[in-house]
Amino acid sequence: MHKVTFKFENSEDVTVFAAFGENLLEVARKTNVAIDAPCSGNASCGKCKVKLVGGELDSKQTRHITDEEYALGWRLACVSKVVSDVEVLVPDIASAYRSRMKVADLSSPEEIRIFEDLKEQIAEVGIALRNNLEAINLEMAEPTLDDTMPDNERLTRSLQEATGVSRIRIPYTVIKKLAQVLRENHFRVQAIVRKTEKDVFVYDVLAQNENPVVGGLAVDIGTTTVSAVIINMLDGKILAKGSGGNGQIRYGADVINRIIESVKPGGREKLQDAIVKETLNPLTKTMCRQAGIRPEQIYRMCVAGNTTMNHLLVGVDADPVRMEPYIPTFFKTNSLFANDIGVDINPDAHIILAPNIGSYVGGDITAGTFVSMIWNKPEFSLFIDLGTNGEIVFGNSDFLMSCACSAGPAFEGGDISCGMRATDGAIEACTIDEETMEPSLTIVGAPGTKPVGICGSGIIDIIAELYRCKMLSPKGKFIREGKRIRHDKYGMGSYVLAFEDEADSVKDIEITEVDIDNFIRAKGAIFSAIRTMLSYCDFDVSMIENVYVAGGIGSGINMQNAIRIGMFPALPVEMYHYIGNSSLAGAYAMLYSTEAERKVYEVAQNMTYIELSAIPQYMDEFVAACFLPHTDASLFEGVE
Amino acid sequence: MPFNAKSGKFSANINTVTMGTGDKAVKIGGENVLPFFTFDAPVENAPKVGIEITDFGLENEPDCVKKYYEGCETVVDMAKKAASMEGVDFLCFRMEGGDPNGANKSTEELISTLKEVAAAVDIPLVVAGCKHVEKDAELLSKAAEAVDGKNAVILAAKEENYKTIGAAAGLAYKQIVGGESAVDINLAKQLNVLMTQLGVDPKSIVMNVGSAAAGYGFEYVVSTMQRVKAAALGQNDNTLQMPIITPVASEVWGVKEAVASEADMPEWGDAEKRGVDMEIETAAAVLAAGSNAVILKHPTAIATISKMIKELM
Repeated sequence: MHKVTFKFENSEDVTVFAAFGENLLEVARKTNVAIDAPCSGNASCGKCKVKLVGGELDSKQTRHITDEEYALGWRLACVSKVVSDVEVLVPDIASAYRSRMKVADLSSPEEIRIFEDLKEQIAEVGIALRNNLEAINLEMAEPTLDDTMPDNERLTRSLQEATGVSRIRIPYTVIKKLAQVLRENHFRVQAIVRKTEKDVFVYDVLAQNENPVVGGLAVDIGTTTVSAVIINMLDGKILAKGSGGNGQIRYGADVINRIIESVKPGGREKLQDAIVKETLNPLTKTMCRQAGIRPEQIYRMCVAGNTTMNHLLVGVDADPVRMEPYIPTFFKTNSLFANDIGVDINPDAHIILAPNIGSYVGGDITAGTFVSMIWNKPEFSLFIDLGTNGEIVFGNSDFLMSCACSAGPAFEGGDISCGMRATDGAIEACTIDEETMEPSLTIVGAPGTKPVGICGSGIIDIIAELYRCKMLSPKGKFIREGKRIRHDKYGMGSYVLAFEDEADSVKDIEITEVDIDNFIRAKGAIFSAIRTMLSYCDFDVSMIENVYVAGGIGSGINMQNAIRIGMFPALPVEMYHYIGNSSLAGAYAMLYSTEAERKVYEVAQNMTYIELSAIPQYMDEFVAACFLPHTDASLFEGVE
Repeated sequence: MPFNAKSGKFSANINTVTMGTGDKAVKIGGENVLPFFTFDAPVENAPKVGIEITDFGLENEPDCVKKYYEGCETVVDMAKKAASMEGVDFLCFRMEGGDPNGANKSTEELISTLKEVAAAVDIPLVVAGCKHVEKDAELLSKAAEAVDGKNAVILAAKEENYKTIGAAAGLAYKQIVGGESAVDINLAKQLNVLMTQLGVDPKSIVMNVGSAAAGYGFEYVVSTMQRVKAAALGQNDNTLQMPIITPVASEVWGVKEAVASEADMPEWGDAEKRGVDMEIETAAAVLAAGSNAVILKHPTAIATISKMIKELM
């Protein structure tokens, strides 16, 4: 056995013992050391770089590591075997997927406004902003030797009287604490209940003077990123907001790799643990602290996620999602409770899942479509969700068509050598001087924050600017030379956005031709999906009046740049609206408003799903779109 | 009501490209109708047929081809003989031996042979590389220089090496640049755009949109050619109006139907006939799909295809 020590820049070392020849990435996984490995550890992405600071590793150099880097001790964890006692430094960028789980500061008005605006929009279309959770004050007669009714019956009667409903359900969790709570408060308590016409379900009994927060949790489970809000179910106020990486990412960057991993023995449990125990529970706990409530005070949860994500969350077999004819276990399910899957909130809390409509169009899209309101407009609109899977919905109040395309993780910074999520240090916007080829960067975080990597919106800007400055060919290859443009020994070009001394990183921040190629494929997938779906329905781009773009790719997208690189159709910029994380917003709406929840089911039922892979034209469109801006230049005529 | 035939001619044309110089120069392209649709409008230039020889001389040729070059000692002798054969419009010299994974002949050696071949014939010349992208970048750039003034077709620049080959052949030595792409209309178009942006005159570009022997994924080849022509003529897409030149010999004479001996495959019949049939079938099909020139190897196939073209015009 050899001692393996993982060192970190900002936290304590982790030491573990490993057998001779054991794979370093595997050792890290077993020890819960977070090393990003979007490609599942097959040396194709080059993300799992670690620095050898002591001892030996048997490790091949691979194309991701330059001679200099190798000499400095950089190794890919996935091709490294433990052959002696060893100390490795795990750089922060490698653990970026956990990206310092971020709980947003609610003092920022923009964060709140999204939800306030949404509430207004929902009210405008006549959907009631209320749910069936309530806090009811109860005053019961204290028992005496003459009044010997047991506590639960006393509570039942009191609730029957207060609600007019005869069937009262009191679960074990309440029974357990009932005697104490009632007596401590002299039988004057408040009950947190779910009230329907048929029954009343008691979640909790509390002292009357206790702040009766009826909490709800809305979560968007993305393949790469998870974000959530805790709200007060009584008034819809946001109490806390947070986001973090999806802990499943170490089992593969995309849904297919995750499913493959889940089919291995014990895999389903592993993936469920990764999302529930390692991602949702810590995130909820941190957010509860911020909101000033206990996790048990969350009585309902709503999850919007793609079909694979909600299958893996629930712990059901996701393999059929991947295999022809692509049939998931469920589109919607009403029978899920926190206790079933181990989410640390009130164990009886009902978990609502935004409905899926196909194997590759899931709850994130149905929730997002609801938020975009395109189902309520007579004019034709396009809704685009930029994620690891790009999803597109087109239609109006009469019909909705949807499709999904595999864009890969590039929009969220995956598959990009210096890619990262849109957190502190991410380059989120960029302009380049055509003459000097010098960049000016906009970086996420406090003023003065140094760049660490590039997020999705930054990549769009960088490529658009490189192309505008005639530094890139339409195929994404560098065609100018300069101090910031380099070529490695294999001839691969790259553009340095920040040299090591300008950056807060152990290496230069650059964008390589491989990154650009990956991104061009991602944008090509989106554009060709739009074209294919529209022509399949015999529509034309010119019929679109509004385009709603969603996704957590940055604080906003420069639409002009996105058009310039041929990611979106050449429509006037004013037609484009960035609506942020619509999946989370949709989950929020479903959580807070029971009518909105029903509406989402209805919208989902009215959506027609098109399987792009069954349309031969798609592949042609895709190849045509993998060019800047497009092989058919007439589609982008007049775009500056 | 009397039947009025509508002409299917288009308002757009395929570019006319002249190969070679002097009396023996040939023109390809120029048409504004689908292949051989002479009833719609006259086809401007009949498709042309080239004959292929390689730097290996007789060494690698199939037996049935060798006999036509009886008495030839050198590659130059072969070139002269090939140029005089019936139905031959141009000569293709393929520098197969340059492949680093094969004979790996030096660029100097191949270029000196090329110079001799070029000096020995007066018909138009196509210079083909060894299919290795890096070696071809060097080899074909030098070749463009070596045949300066010949107005030769340099075959071919690909996406990976178009910058070097396009610059040498198209810009420096004003040869005709062949652009090779892999059986995909969009990739063909993208390469044309890239080369044009490099500064190569679109009128001196010809395309090899990819080929295969008949039966070997051939429907993709045919479909690509047809769609290229449809876009060029029907949509006036000037990034696809370059004439198509299709090397057939190098595909056909590598498949078992053409090369398996009679001893190995007695039930398949006469080996020479099989090879010739394969070459004729493939060439006829790519011509019908839109190729403006084909490159063949067997003299019988060349004579047959040449006759077919004449009779269809």
